Amino acid sequence: MKQETELGQQAGQNIMMTARNVSVFYGGKMAVNDVSIDISKDDVTAFIGPSGCGKSTFLRSFNRMNDTIPNARVEGRIELDGEDIYASGMDVVQLRARVGMVFQKPNPFPKSIYENVAYGPRIHGLAAGKTALDEIVQRSLRRAGLWEEVKDRLTDSGTALSGGQQQRLCIARAIAVDPEVILMDEPASALDPIATAKIEELIHELRGRYAIVIVTHNMQQAARVSQRTAFFHLGNLVEYGDTSQIFTNPRETRTKDYITGRYG
Amino acid sequence: MSDAVATRAPTDWKTGAMQQRIRRRYSAERRFRLLGLGAVMLSAGFLVFLLVTMLGNGIKGFTQTEVRLDIDFEKSALFIDPAALRGPSADAALAAADLEGTVRTAASSQYGAAGAGLLSESAWLRVREAVKEDPALLSRRATLWLPAASPIDIAAKGEGAPEAERIHAQLEGRNAVRTGFNWNFLTGSDATDPAAVGIWGAFKGSLLTMLVTLALAFPVGVLSAVYLEEYAPRNGWTDTIEVSINNLAAVPSIIFGLLGLAIFLNVMHLPRSAPLVGGLTLALMTMPVIVIAGRNAIKSVPPSIRDAALGVGASKIQVVFHHVLPLALPGILTGTIIGMARALGETAPLLMIGMRAFIASPPGGVTDPATALPVQIFLWSDEVSRGFVEKTSAAIIVLLVFLLAMNGLAIYLRNKFERRW
Repeated sequence: MKQETELGQQAGQNIMMTARNVSVFYGGKMAVNDVSIDISKDDVTAFIGPSGCGKSTFLRSFNRMNDTIPNARVEGRIELDGEDIYASGMDVVQLRARVGMVFQKPNPFPKSIYENVAYGPRIHGLAAGKTALDEIVQRSLRRAGLWEEVKDRLTDSGTALSGGQQQRLCIARAIAVDPEVILMDEPASALDPIATAKIEELIHELRGRYAIVIVTHNMQQAARVSQRTAFFHLGNLVEYGDTSQIFTNPRETRTKDYITGRYG
Repeated sequence: MSDAVATRAPTDWKTGAMQQRIRRRYSAERRFRLLGLGAVMLSAGFLVFLLVTMLGNGIKGFTQTEVRLDIDFEKSALFIDPAALRGPSADAALAAADLEGTVRTAASSQYGAAGAGLLSESAWLRVREAVKEDPALLSRRATLWLPAASPIDIAAKGEGAPEAERIHAQLEGRNAVRTGFNWNFLTGSDATDPAAVGIWGAFKGSLLTMLVTLALAFPVGVLSAVYLEEYAPRNGWTDTIEVSINNLAAVPSIIFGLLGLAIFLNVMHLPRSAPLVGGLTLALMTMPVIVIAGRNAIKSVPPSIRDAALGVGASKIQVVFHHVLPLALPGILTGTIIGMARALGETAPLLMIGMRAFIASPPGGVTDPATALPVQIFLWSDEVSRGFVEKTSAAIIVLLVFLLAMNGLAIYLRNKFERRW
């Protein structure tokens, strides 16, 4: 455990989120075991590991999406900008606006493209009027690299787009509320290689503006998009460090075995 | 290793046993398809039989035979002051006059001793209406078409007794009989004379009852479904409530009638025979159906939509009202219409709360005494007079049309709100 705390403190200067001794339980079953980690503001952080290692569960505890699962319980402390997000005074709605999320399967609302992006700003009262809202929608779609493809059909249903476009629409929806952190739970696993490349390119462009945490099965993807990588195995954080170091010179044999494809 | 594989002979698909197995499979397939088709045909046959008999009998209920009667008001023994007919005292003045006797006398002089028997007992009411509308009639000879008595009416429709048929032929020879659309059936209310009955009173009673039912059962049912599905913790209490609601949906309707009688009439002292009480009672019956359908519809909304909304920071209530309910609405509406259709056809509970009374005028509001379509059908089917048979069928047609209209509305709404994800 001492070692893991050390691992967690290896992050760079601008720390956005910190997790300290976090464990997550589903009923009596422990899914994440005593993990401590720092998430840098300027980097893309990747969580890798074999299926069932707890990386998605751990990610979902960063914006308290685990609250929606009955019997799920989180122990330990997670901070956003020094604020404990599990404190009793924390407003979950506000937290989720500050820590946005993109899911594995593209899940646009069955509404128009415009409504999909405008929904968040509207419920949080971020736009003063129609023109301000239009601006937010356009800016978000531009940042998500979707504007040129959909600008002439904003009233079409979001579900009529292709899978890759839907996922970029979901990213546009997440950034429309101007979050500080974006959590991505295997955002490209349901997409073809071309759409995946576009999403990865988009992650590059968004880096620096938002702290990004991405869970991925695909080690090449982690190597391509992230600066920091955390390797999880059986609910434990095995190793956390610079992506280049993890992939070229892992300290732990388990990490090395996984990266070289010995299991996974 | 390869020995075992080599010694195993390849499957011969062409042997007689194999061919027989294939043939048996095909015939099983064919047999099942025929059975299914037979079941569909059987139900379709029953439906066609029902519709044909109903329409065959019912169509006649929408027409009425009328007999021509010339009344010379000047020579009649009527004493009505024409001036009194112009003011609010008109009804009183007409009530005092012996219109019934006048009509009887005129009929006897025109068609012989049995003349009065040709006309419906309520024929003089039509004369009263005519005089009220045009008081100038009283100073001249007028020709009026008055509803025929039941035997003549039935004879005109080709099913009368030989005697009535003969009289009808005579009348036809004198050009004194006609059959036309019976507007009175659509605009009038219950009466003791089959020639004078109308369905509007019962129709309006049903409409008001349904409105009360909908206004109560829909919001309560949907809110219960939302709470149970989205908010309620999963524990013994929720399970108990769920089982109770499922059981409630299966309780015989007469028991709901008893409940309504005990609570709404005996404890709360609401007016007897009123659509308000009928609606409340039927709402009790419909609500469990809406709750069950609503819960299923809400359950079928994909969790990814909830995640998406929660992920951008929507609160629980925003998730429910912005996303879950709109997507579940088609299913909820379908369940609601099924429940409402059942309530519309329900007779037993309404009998218990007194909606089986003889009501000769349409209800003005939800607290006025009223009856409902199925109860009216039940009452008419019990009448002795031959003329009520076709009226009963006609009322059934009206009820079926009402039901079809409701289902049509449901399908329209469902298609309008249906969305894919």
